[in-house]
Parts: sequence; C-alpha cells; structure tokens
Amino acid sequence: MKKILVLLLLAVVGFYLAGTFFDIGFGNSHFVKNDAIKPVKDIYLQQTVQELKVSNAVTSIVVNFRGFDTLGEVTVLFLSVTALGSILYKKRHHVGERSVLFSASSIVTSGSKLLFPAIVLLGAYVFIHGHLSPGGGFQGGVIIATGFLLMLLAYENYSVSHNGLSIVESLAGITFVGVGLLGFMNGGTFLQNFLPTGELNNLFSGGIIPIIYIAVGFKVAAELTGVIYTVLNEKGEQNG
Amino acid sequence: MVGTPVLFIAIPLLAAFLIPLIGMVWKESVRIIPGLVLAYLLVLAINLLSYVTVNGPIVEVIAGWAPPIGINLVFNAFSGFLVTIMVFMGLLVWLYSYRFKSNVEYEAARKYFLLLMMLITGSVGIVLTGDIFNMFVFIEITSISGYALTAFYTGRDSAEASFKYLMMGSIASVMLLLAIMIIYSQLGTLNMADVASKMHLMDPKLKAVSFILFVIALGIEAEVFPLNGWAPDAYAEAPGPVGAAFSGIVVKAGVYALIRYTYTIFDLSGAFNLLIIIGLITLVVAEVAAIRQEKLKRMLAYSSIGQMGLVLVSFGIGTKEGVFAALFIMLNHAIIKPLLFFSGSYLVYHSKKKMISDVDGIGKLAPLTSILFTLGAFAIVGLPPFAGFWSKLSFLMAAADSNMLLVIGLILSVSVVELVYYMRVVNRIFFFKRTTSLLTRRPTFNAYVVMIILGLMILVIGFYPDSVSMYLHNAANSLFDKSQYIHSVLTATIQ
Repeated sequence: MKKILVLLLLAVVGFYLAGTFFDIGFGNSHFVKNDAIKPVKDIYLQQTVQELKVSNAVTSIVVNFRGFDTLGEVTVLFLSVTALGSILYKKRHHVGERSVLFSASSIVTSGSKLLFPAIVLLGAYVFIHGHLSPGGGFQGGVIIATGFLLMLLAYENYSVSHNGLSIVESLAGITFVGVGLLGFMNGGTFLQNFLPTGELNNLFSGGIIPIIYIAVGFKVAAELTGVIYTVLNEKGEQNG
Repeated sequence: MVGTPVLFIAIPLLAAFLIPLIGMVWKESVRIIPGLVLAYLLVLAINLLSYVTVNGPIVEVIAGWAPPIGINLVFNAFSGFLVTIMVFMGLLVWLYSYRFKSNVEYEAARKYFLLLMMLITGSVGIVLTGDIFNMFVFIEITSISGYALTAFYTGRDSAEASFKYLMMGSIASVMLLLAIMIIYSQLGTLNMADVASKMHLMDPKLKAVSFILFVIALGIEAEVFPLNGWAPDAYAEAPGPVGAAFSGIVVKAGVYALIRYTYTIFDLSGAFNLLIIIGLITLVVAEVAAIRQEKLKRMLAYSSIGQMGLVLVSFGIGTKEGVFAALFIMLNHAIIKPLLFFSGSYLVYHSKKKMISDVDGIGKLAPLTSILFTLGAFAIVGLPPFAGFWSKLSFLMAAADSNMLLVIGLILSVSVVELVYYMRVVNRIFFFKRTTSLLTRRPTFNAYVVMIILGLMILVIGFYPDSVSMYLHNAANSLFDKSQYIHSVLTATIQ
C-alpha cells in the first residue's frame, strides 16, 4: 500500500516536471524566449574567437570563462579518488592476490602490447589539441586510462607505481592552481590569461588554455588509472 | 587589503595537491600543513571582515571576465561573517583531531586531514561564490568529502550511514542541476546578481518549479525535515570531530545557500512563509525525536537539526531583527554544538554502543569534561547567562515584533522538550550511580584546549553579547540590501 502511494506520488510529480521541461524546448537555437534578455552565451561565442583565439568554444568556456568551475571539478575527481582509497584502504590488507579466473590468451597479451602506445598517443593528441578540435583534458585522460586498463587486464602481474601516479597527479594539480595564481600576480585576477593568445587555429594559441588542459589530461589519466588499479588490485602496496 | 577572497579557495587547493608530494619526504607534514592553511585563512578572514566593515563589499572577478560573463566571489558583511566562523571552527576541529590516528598509518592520517580541509574549503566556497553553477561545484566538493569522512571507520554501520548520505546527496545534486538548467534556459545567465535582477522576467510557473527544486536540493544539505534522514546516522557513525565539523560548518553552508536563494535570487512572496513552515516542522519533529534517542551522538544530531529549524523560522520572519536573531543562533550553534560533540564523544569514549546510560555518574571520574558538556547543554537550551540565552531572546523579540504569537508559543513549548532531554543527560552525569565498569578516557591536551576555548567563548558571548552584535547587525543589513548586492556585483571591475 505504502509503495503504491509512493509510486503514485512520484508519477504525479514526474508528470508535472516532465511537462515543465517539455515547455522549455531544449535544443532550439534560441530558447531564451524573452527578447529583453541578452544571454551570456552570445558573448562567449564572440569572445572565444576574437579575444582568446580558440576555435573550440566548449574548451574556452570550460577552461577560461568558467575555469574556476573546472578547477572545482578536478578537485571533485581528486577527492573521489582519495575517498575511494580511504574506504578500500583497510580492505586491502586482508585480501590476497588479485583473483584471476583464467589468464588472458596470447592474442590479447600481444595485441594490447601493440595497442597500448597507440592509445596513449591518441589520448595525448586529444588533450594537446583540446583547444582546436573536439575533446580535451578530461577526454584525453580517460583515453589514456583505458590504455592502462587494457594492460592491467591482459597481464596479471602488470603493476603501476602508486607513488609515480600520485606524483603526476600532484604536479598536474599544482600546475593548474599555479597557472591560476600566476594570472593573479600578472594580470590581476585568478586564472586570467597572461600569455599571448597567438593565431587562431595554431597549436600554440589560446594563451593558458592548452597548458591547463594538458595538466588536466595528466591529472585525469593518473587518477583514473589509480582508481582502476585500486579496485582491480586490492592487495596493493603499503603506500596506497 | 592583505589578500583577496579567491585565496580562500586557491590556497587550500594548492595545499591539497602539495601534501602528497611533501608527505613523501616529511610525514608529519600531512597533519601540520592543513593547520597552517586554516590558520592563515583565519587571519585572512578577520582582516577582510574588518576591511569590509569599513569599505563595503569586495567583489572578486575570476579569469578576467567581469560579471555576468565570468564567475565572481562576493565577500560582504554577511558572507564574510559566515566564512570567519567556518574557518575558525575548522581550525578548532583540526586542533582537536591533531593527534587523531597518530598511532595508525601515515596513509589514513593523510586522507583524513586532506578530506577535512576540503570539507571546510567546499563550505567556504558555497558561501563566497556569486554564481549558481559554481555553488553546485562547491556543494559537490563538500558532499564528497562528507561521504568519505562518514565512512572513515570502514565499519558496517558507518558504511551504511555513508551510503545513505551518498544517495540523498546524489538526489540533491540532480535536483540542483535541474533547477540551474531551468534558470539558465530562461534567463541565459548563471550569475546570482544577474539572475536576481532579471528574475521578474521569468515565467511564474517555471520560477516556482525551479524554486521548489532548489529548496529540495539545498534542504538535504541544510538538514530540513523530511530530507534529513541521512543526518543522524552520519553524525553518529562519523569520527567525533567530523560530527562537530558537520554541525559547525557544513550545515551552515547549506542554510546559507537556502537563504541566499530565498532572500536575494527569487522574489517569491510566499517563500518566507514556506521557510517558517518547514522550519517549524523540522524543529518540532527533530526535538521530539531527540527526546526518544538512547544514543548520545544521535541525540546531539537531532538537536542540531532542531536548531537549524529554528534558524529557518527566524529567517522566515523576514525582518531585520529576524535575520539578526537567525545569525546569532547560527553563531551560537557553531560554537556550542561542537563543544557538545567534543566533550560528549569523550564521555562515551570506551562505550561500545555509545548509549546515554553509559554516562551515569561519570561526573566524578571526569569532572572537567562533564562540566564542559554541562556548560554546552545549558547554553544550547538558552539558560541565562550563557550565549544561547541572547540568541533565543532576540529570536523571541523578533517574532513578537511581527506578531507571530503562535510561533512563539510553539517555540517555547519545544524549548521545554529540549530542556528535558539535555537535563536528563546532565542529571545522569552528576547524580546517578555509576553502574558500568567502563573506564573513562582523559581528553588529550589539544582537546582540552579546544573545549576550553569554546567554553570561554560561550561565557564571553553570554556576558558581553555586544561584542558580536555589531558584526551580526552588519551581516543582517547586508543580506537585506538586495539592490546593493546586485549593484556591487554587476558593476564590479578587475581591481
């Protein structure tokens, strides 16, 4: 009875919420209906090309206009990894070897050896060109982490240095905040661009945007690899 | 000016990323650095607060894009006041737990202090930010640290508490995101001041929907009934100092967010009555639940929820006196509740189930801790001459000025309930015969220092309430002056 009531209540709430969201008309090119309002998105699109000389508007919004949010999101990921480590920490002392049902065939092992450098290269390409083409630090980092996942699945005793990962992670984080603080000292505000923006569509353009995205790429790659390694290899090292 | 508001975020983040590196060569640094950071932030907060009192609000532009294009931080009398309390309480929680886990591995200590520092940073960020999506990010930072700290003891109960908190928190995140989406789709901006100035252009139906979504989402953080199911478990299962941090810091951020939305961003006239109603329900339900608790920390948790209900009622009165009283209650609660959590967790330190009955007759064995607990209990129920008396008095006066007699009657009768369950514990501490053979635990030196500082603050505010009333008045005025908030943000330039 209670469950039916809850379901009914949810259905009513859901119906009205869905109705509201259909009214808004997401996906239309001009969904801000009132003409008196000038949405900030127009400024973003205009300034991305004119001021920042970046051809990927998403990147310029994520890293520059709303870079502070991205710093927060990077911290959220960092905290999640720390939290996962602190919860799995006690467990890892009890659990023994990684449980492997059957070892990978030679096709998988030799294939992943071939694929691994290519995957890492693709990941690096995606985050280095984050300001020119679709993708960026988060996506590139995830691609690199999948490369490590492949290696961990193919080789039972493949190990990643936990200290190495946390050094990469820390240095990348320090680079992000450090670039922000440099902007603070040079230009006046936190995360402000203080480098020349260069030419549109060049690799060296966009000021601090590529630097931050490369740092984010390294950070995400190291963190996600750490997560995979922690969950997969519960034995772990002392210094997890 | 000695610094700018962005340092409240940048310095702890820099430290959080540095700690793993420095920790590799110098292990003690994982404990020391968070303390140094918090001490620096306290100095910064006090300096900025005195600057703001004289010169008006500081609006800090980030990434060189003036509002409404970029993100901005606002440090005015209201947010500055809350930030100062939060950072101060953070420093005390750090000092209290400095020896925490000293006998265990470096790794656990590193994670504990890192998460604690980020919990405080997230809460400070919620208060400082002037952008609704940025607030979402800081709420995420706070809640993720909160989930991890709740589950820190990795037992079954703490895992359950943390999971509950995680589920509620995730629902809150989704609701918040939906509400932000509606606002952005209608007004094309995310800056709080800009949203507030354009709010009258929004379709009333969508406005109401997004407001309700905001109230649900932030109500989970602010522990409003019926969204607070996670709170008693989390308080009871988390390590002692974390419970104190939740009640002293995190809840304050949740309440701040709720208030910022009702007072500044939305212009709904019914919102104030809604605050009174949800506040009253929260207060009554929590206090009635508290009297039935058998575990000490759960009782304190319900009492904390009840106090937040009182704060919401007080904000809902909608006058300057009401806001003054609400801020006063928040300040007192931030001081008193951690004292109760700190001393309470020592009173039941060796008890497995942490029952209230385990404190029987402990007054003779641990006199100082018991006296400090009693001081906190007297102060929170509002006995004169302690700090809680003045905040409750100013609340009653504010309610009386607005002719809310029913509210006054209800609050007074609930106060009696509060008095009963606190006095029951105090009575057990001093006048019952000790029946258990449990040992008592002497607090560490740091814990004594922290508890005595809090006790002294209760007495100082109790005897000289004027020492804080100037800051409270400034904060209340600054919350009320909506047009000045909008003006100061939208005309902000890069300094």
